[in-house]
Amino acid sequence: MLDPTLLTAASATLEAIINKALQYDPATLNTLEKHLGKSLKVEITELNFSLCFHFGRQIMVTNYCEEPTIELRGSIPALISLAMSDSTNLAKSGVTASGNTAFLAEIKSIARRMEIDWEDAINQWLGDVAGHQLAGGLRRQFDWLNDRRVNGERLLQEFLTEELRATPSQPELETFSSTVDQLYLKTDRLSARIQQLDATLRPSPQATDKE
Amino acid sequence: MTDHNPSDNHSSKKTTHFGFQEVPVTEKAGRVADVFHSVAAKYDIMNDLMSGGIHRLWKRFTIEISGVRAGHKVLDIAGGTGDLSYKFSQLVGPEGLVVLADINESMLKVGRDKLTDKGVCGNLVVTQADAQYLPFPDNTFDCITIAFGLRNVTDKDIALQSMLRVLKPGGRLLILEFSKPRSEVLNKVYDTYSFRILPMMGKLITNDSESYSYLAESIRMHPNQDTLKSMMDAAGFVNTTYHNMTGGIVALHKGIKP
Repeated sequence: MLDPTLLTAASATLEAIINKALQYDPATLNTLEKHLGKSLKVEITELNFSLCFHFGRQIMVTNYCEEPTIELRGSIPALISLAMSDSTNLAKSGVTASGNTAFLAEIKSIARRMEIDWEDAINQWLGDVAGHQLAGGLRRQFDWLNDRRVNGERLLQEFLTEELRATPSQPELETFSSTVDQLYLKTDRLSARIQQLDATLRPSPQATDKE
Repeated sequence: MTDHNPSDNHSSKKTTHFGFQEVPVTEKAGRVADVFHSVAAKYDIMNDLMSGGIHRLWKRFTIEISGVRAGHKVLDIAGGTGDLSYKFSQLVGPEGLVVLADINESMLKVGRDKLTDKGVCGNLVVTQADAQYLPFPDNTFDCITIAFGLRNVTDKDIALQSMLRVLKPGGRLLILEFSKPRSEVLNKVYDTYSFRILPMMGKLITNDSESYSYLAESIRMHPNQDTLKSMMDAAGFVNTTYHNMTGGIVALHKGIKP
């Protein structure tokens, strides 16, 4: 096991980063304050390591916590995947939870609505005019990169489906899926009819006894 | 080297250690008091310099392990300049209580002023008290901490029994104290640092190398991890465990009152 000093340094650093970021999102801070006394424990199974987030006016990050409101246990990819997804459904996610799962839904909802005013953070350092110029430049770069990412994904998808024919297109997949569904329903109906016909044709045991 | 000194076992013994010196039992408290009167004003800055700020992580870990929650009563013995008390006062909330206790008046003054400046009030009481004869009723506290203080106590066994008495059943005692490094290499580096660099830093910053020589010597005379654990067991604590930190330079002992 890692030296507690290192673990404590890591949790203290994470706590400082989170609380610094939350300073620039007062709305989220107000919402978090309503959860004073609640805690979320995240246990990373590969590392046998856990982190606890205690909610209140500030978030406190610790390595130990007793009786958390909810405890999540899973591998790093599974936990990241759960954090990134909009769903709070844990089925087949590779993450197990114990405790108050409604609290998890609330935390995810707060995280989704979070809007950190990072321009304000820059302004604190550079002043309003220079900060706004820099933030504007960064925002334009970010938008450009985001456009490239969206375009790149679309072009790759088109290349794979239209040029290489390596993957089916969305309409083809939907038609195929619909056809399979139809076939499934028709097979069910046919099976039911055969059973009905079989029951009609088969002589009843009472009639056989009379003969 | 750090085994529990038999002369320290009971106050009926005539001498005890003060660093590497043997002194009459009746003298130790006064001599320790002189050390802390001398260092009180620059205690915090020296702590940061000597430990490179790591003492804050050790204390933070102690708070994590304490399990202190809103409404709890906490006693911070040898609380000095109030680092732990400050954090505890935030955790226990307005319905809880933190008692900052120290035998040394100068340290308490620094601690009380610091906490007042930070706006801590309402749930904090400052009191001058000897860890061996705690002036509180039985079964009072949910948690007791003593950080870097036990090695200065004249009779550690009496102090442990006193702490057990004032803890509530199920309450926990946390002892944060310098201990014995686990690795021989680290031990050698640590020795060099303690006996050569520390007194030099003391001389430069507080013009008092003797107090910092005492600090290094008292650490060497303090019981090692397992000895302190067995002392806690003998005092009546159960489920006693310890966590080594920074390679064993510091250890956090935990015991529960049955």
